[in-house]
Parts: sequence; C-alpha cells; structure tokens
Amino acid sequence: MSKGKIAIIGIGEVPTRNMPERTHWDIVYDTCMEAVRDSGLHKNDIEGVISVFPQAQPKIAAELSFGKLPEELGLKGCKDAVSVNAGGASTSNAIRLAEQWITSGVAKAVLVHHVTIHSTIAVPDLINFFAKAGVDLQWEYPYGTTYNIIMGLMANRFMYQSGCTPEEMASVVTALRSWAAKDPNSFFYGKEVPSVQKVLASDLLNTPLHKRESNVLGDGGCAMVIVSAEDAKKMKRPAAYKLGDSVRYFSGTCVMRDFNKVAEGFRVTAKEAMAQAGITKEDVSLWNCYLAYPLAHPMISELLEVAPPGMGGKYFLEGRMSFGGDIPWSSIGDAPGRGHTGSGVSSACYVETARQLMGKAGERQVKNCKYVYQNAGGGSGFNNIATIWGKEI
Amino acid sequence: MDFDMTKPVPETQPWSEKFWEGTKEGKLLIQVCNDCKSKIFYPRKYCPECWSGNLGWMEASGKATILTFSTAYGMVEPKFTDELPYTIAYVDLEEGIRMMTRIVECKPEDIKFDMPVEVVYHEREGFFLPYFRPVKK
Ligand SMILES: [Zn+2]
Repeated sequence: MSKGKIAIIGIGEVPTRNMPERTHWDIVYDTCMEAVRDSGLHKNDIEGVISVFPQAQPKIAAELSFGKLPEELGLKGCKDAVSVNAGGASTSNAIRLAEQWITSGVAKAVLVHHVTIHSTIAVPDLINFFAKAGVDLQWEYPYGTTYNIIMGLMANRFMYQSGCTPEEMASVVTALRSWAAKDPNSFFYGKEVPSVQKVLASDLLNTPLHKRESNVLGDGGCAMVIVSAEDAKKMKRPAAYKLGDSVRYFSGTCVMRDFNKVAEGFRVTAKEAMAQAGITKEDVSLWNCYLAYPLAHPMISELLEVAPPGMGGKYFLEGRMSFGGDIPWSSIGDAPGRGHTGSGVSSACYVETARQLMGKAGERQVKNCKYVYQNAGGGSGFNNIATIWGKEI
Repeated sequence: MDFDMTKPVPETQPWSEKFWEGTKEGKLLIQVCNDCKSKIFYPRKYCPECWSGNLGWMEASGKATILTFSTAYGMVEPKFTDELPYTIAYVDLEEGIRMMTRIVECKPEDIKFDMPVEVVYHEREGFFLPYFRPVKK
C-alpha cells in the first residue's frame, strides 16, 4: 500500500459484558449507529459494509455474510456487504478491503463492525470450539492441547532463554488491568487491579500460566467508519490516518511455527510499517499491542525494541507499561483487560487506536498522541500484521 | 452439561495413513521427497519444497530432545481431565523434525529443556500416538 489513503473518522462501541439479554442485533444497531453519528456522515452515505466474522456463532455469521445489515439499518446508499474472516486478523483485513473499495471507487464511506456474544453459546460448544480452532486435528488435538497450552509452550521457552521471572510475567496482568480499570468498555472497568502476588496465587492452569493470566470471555462489539484520507482532511474532523501496513505469515499449525521466524516477523513488520509511515520507534506515542495473552507481551516488547533484550519483563514489573507509566502500551488492556470477544478484540484495539488519535480516550488519553503502532494476528498466531496510524497525514 | 467425552483420534489424510500404520509396528516414519531429498513433517500429498509427487518414507531413530513443554493441571477439555496432570511438549527429532507430543513416564517436575527423550507409543482406538519418555541412563 502507499502511505495514507484512508482514515477512520467515526467510532462506536458497547461495553464488554456478559449480558445474554443484549442480542447480536442490539449491539449491531448501537455500535454502527454510534460510529456513523460520530463520523458526521448521514446513514445513506455509507456505501459499503464489512463485518468482522463472529467466531462460533453460525446464525449471526450467516445473517451478516448474506447481507442483512444494510437492509436492517436502512443504509439506502449501500452498494455492497461482505464478511471477512482471518480469526484475530479479520479486522486488519476488513480495513484493507475498505481501502480497496475506497481507492477503486466501489465505495466512498465504509462501515466496518464486529459483534460477538459468548454468553448464549452452550458451554460445551464453547470449550470444544476453542480447543479445536487453530489446533491441528491430526498432529496436535489428539494429545489434549489447548490454546492455553500453546501459549504455555511459547512462554516457557521464552522464560528459559531470557530469564524472565514468574513475577515479571504476572506483572503484565497488573499492567493490562490498570488500563482496563479506566476503560468504560472493559469487563474490568472500575474493578480492583490484581497485584503480582494475587496473580501468582491464582490456580496454575498449565505451566507457566495462572488462571489470572488467561482470558475471560465476554460479549461486545464495535464499529468504525472509514473514508479516503482526502475526504477525511476535507471534513476537518478528528481522524486516524492509516500510514503503514506490513505482514508476515508464519504457519497454520502451532508446532510448525518456528519461534525464530515469529520473532523475526514481529521485528521486520514493525520496521516496514514504520518506514512506510516515515517514522521511527521514538515517534510512536502508543504501542497498542494485541497479543490475546499477557505472557507474550514481554517478548514482543523486546522484539519491538521498546525494551532492551532480556528487559521486557522488568519493564512491566517496574510499571512502565501500566496506566500512568512512561511507555503507553495496550491501552484497553488487550484481551486480558478488555474481556475476550473472539475476533472482536482486534476490532476493539483498532477502535481504541482511532479513539486515542482522535483525542477521545478520556482518562486513558495518551498525551500528544500522534502515532500509534497497532498489530493483530490470526488463528493461534499464524501471522502478524503491523500497522501505523497517525493523527495527521 | 452434555460434554462429548470421546477421546479424539487423529483425523488422517490418505497420504498420512502410512505414518499411522508405521506406528502400529513401532516405527516412527518420516516422509521423504525422492527428488529433492527433503524430510517432510507432517506428511503431505506433494513435497512442500519442490511439489514432487515422488515421495517415500524413512524410519526415524525415535530419539529427540525437548524444545519446550507445558504441564497442564486444569482448564483442559472435559474429555482429558481424567489424564491430568499431563505434559505437552514440542520435541526435535534427531532427523530435524519437530513434533507435538506428550512426555510420559516421568514426574512433571523432572522434565527439563533440551532433555533427551525417546518415542513410546500410546494406543487409542486403534491409533498409536507417538509419546516420548526420558532416555534411561
Ligand atoms: Zn521435494
């Protein structure tokens, strides 16, 4: 992509909660209408709708994939609708597709949204879905692996090689939850931030992962309106301009994922995205990392050269990435802080990136927020997409 | 709650059946490309390096080292809770192949990184899953 073709000019979001009485369509209405109103556009200006695929929810997924949303919301100017699925990387691809629609003339304004309701899925189905998705059914699943174990395998090796301690790992939860406590859309809004001791005192699920280092599933949704960078400038409204995008594919099967290749992928994509944006890491105001589990954060902070090698865990333990620290990091608290909404965590991260650049992040507002690093990955980590967003073009 | 308690068996492909037949005879087979000589894991229909269909098999020594591991104490699927605690690992075979497996015949606290292990088969519904155990000194 070339630099700065699109911008997010409107955002909408509902709080992440377990609220079975709030239906999928409740969330679709509330998030999409809020995003369109926030953009200053009329509903009939929306010419394209892209749904981030809701995982493990076949009914709403079919309704959205088969084009119900524009009709339901009366988007009279809509020319096309589609769903995009790459697991946690769906939102990044939805935004890329919006860019293609806008630059090719298919649509001037595109609505990208996500909705997930976990609380009405039968527990056995939920457990089975998350046990199998992204895990190979021939070479991995029969051994009794889970997402938690996949993360444990990676984290254990990282701790062995880097010397990162359990206390340092646990402090990532403290950091992420310190942001979440200030976020009205978080599951943990206003809740006590667990100390390192409290995290380590929770049950050990699988080494080195404690219960408080895993995720709580929640219901939620969000939406954003995307237009061309040119139109965004003309509208003279707060906007988040997309300035860089780089990606590497690793592997679909967990065991085939070479740790060194993943590390190199994180390094290279950050460098390439920043080079496209014409910035360096010193220019980044917020590292809005989406990694789904806390255990990956120290390693990624080192790969992004935010922390020196071997210092990632120490930086978290010192509170440098916490709310009020000197390195603004994952300001919705990633999935552990927000509550896990399936593929929607990455949607929520992009909305937060836009919110910060628009200056609408309230208590969590990063001062002089000019550039944000925002990444996403799909499946059990089959790729990493690094993007850079700016307040101006 | 109505949980499916059936333990899963590998969902095979026609080109991986030979691997599973091998395990029944206590052989750990690795697919090889007869054209570019690549060792291939997991088995493919065509060589992922050169797309040749001229594929064969070699028997691995069954010796490996533990790259990493994680011992599960809870939050696994209900069908596996009766086996807790158990240790999942990535092991590197001598032949340069990496597999996911279980580490058995060993207390979880005795499992170490880079520890030498050897294959031992665990039967489930006619399949013999390659598990690994520490090499006895
Ligand atoms: Zn070949």
